Amino acid sequence: MENLANLADVNAVSIETWMFYVLAAIAIPFAYGVILDRAIIRSGFLLIGVFGAISGLFLILQAQFIAMAQIMIYAVGITLVVVIALMLTNPRMNLDLKPANGNSKVWGFAFSFLLFAVIYMAIRSEYWPVKGEIPSGANVAVIGAALTGQYSLPFEFASVLLLAALMGAVMLAKNEPSEPETLEYSENIGTNEAETPEAVTSSR
Amino acid sequence: MVPKLSQQTILGIAYAVVALLIAGFYFTGGLGSMLISSGMTKFPPDVTAFSLISLLAAAAMFMNASPLVVLSSATFLGFFVLSIHQEEPLVRYLCLGGVLFAIGMYGMTTSRNAVRVLMSIELMLNAVNINLVAFARYIDPAQVKGQVFAIFILTVAAAEAAVGLAIVLAMYRNTATVDMEEFNLLKW
Repeated sequence: MENLANLADVNAVSIETWMFYVLAAIAIPFAYGVILDRAIIRSGFLLIGVFGAISGLFLILQAQFIAMAQIMIYAVGITLVVVIALMLTNPRMNLDLKPANGNSKVWGFAFSFLLFAVIYMAIRSEYWPVKGEIPSGANVAVIGAALTGQYSLPFEFASVLLLAALMGAVMLAKNEPSEPETLEYSENIGTNEAETPEAVTSSR
Repeated sequence: MVPKLSQQTILGIAYAVVALLIAGFYFTGGLGSMLISSGMTKFPPDVTAFSLISLLAAAAMFMNASPLVVLSSATFLGFFVLSIHQEEPLVRYLCLGGVLFAIGMYGMTTSRNAVRVLMSIELMLNAVNINLVAFARYIDPAQVKGQVFAIFILTVAAAEAAVGLAIVLAMYRNTATVDMEEFNLLKW
């Protein structure tokens, strides 16, 4: 009966709670689809659904700017990069169908379940100083002032980090010239000539 | 046109219906009053319903039901039971963040495909973002500091995705596989 009173309260509060459960009911199965689907290219596309549901959660949390940034960066940018990486590697490898060494699935399940139990206990036992007011619609201006004022130094560091990550990604993904340096050892070429280039090409 | 369902899927859907009945029984207050009337006041009803759903999920997985259907319905209904118990809406968001973080952790430890491991890491970063934005909404609504932190996490996640996928591509070029168990170059 106490829970029925809760239900009446929930109806009285707003539609926000029900939107939250609908978005959670989208996000959780899609997240399982990302990690359990056999076709990995499909799990790459299911990732878009998870990110879209989470951006809907940001919208009902009054964080409009973060929701739009989430759609632009995660649901479009990062998913695009992931799908391109899947296409450049071999997506038909079906690695997850092979049995893993040892019972890593059991340990992974036990560990993540324990992690969730610890998180839930920590959430439940705490008293949260919740404030009743909701953030104003102009909180983008507040974020902008914070980023250029109080947090300007981390903001600059973030830009330097992005530049370094850009250059590092280009350096890592760049095609190395496949000409072997063993050309200097002129005596060895005659004997090993048949082996080394064949090995390089067949390993691809 | 009726899609052809395999036996795995039918078992999974049957389990989902049973778990939904348990969650509804808890939600209407039947489980709590039953626990009180039977004298077991020590057990909190939400944890009892959650462990009942989890045990049934383990049994259904043992009976070779479809793991995708069973795990997602069990997680959602267990999360529903655990979070409807709380009065504050903040705790619901924190519960959802915890669930998504645990799912991402499971995927990160058990996947063999390196790209899927990176996807799981993105899931975990998103779960943290949910927590931060919920804190900004409910604890600190005047100067939304949680959203500022969420922006920094977005930035670092973009950098991490680019560098991680470049590393995966370089490893694929050298070893012609993306199997995590073949990547033993740095093994001690």
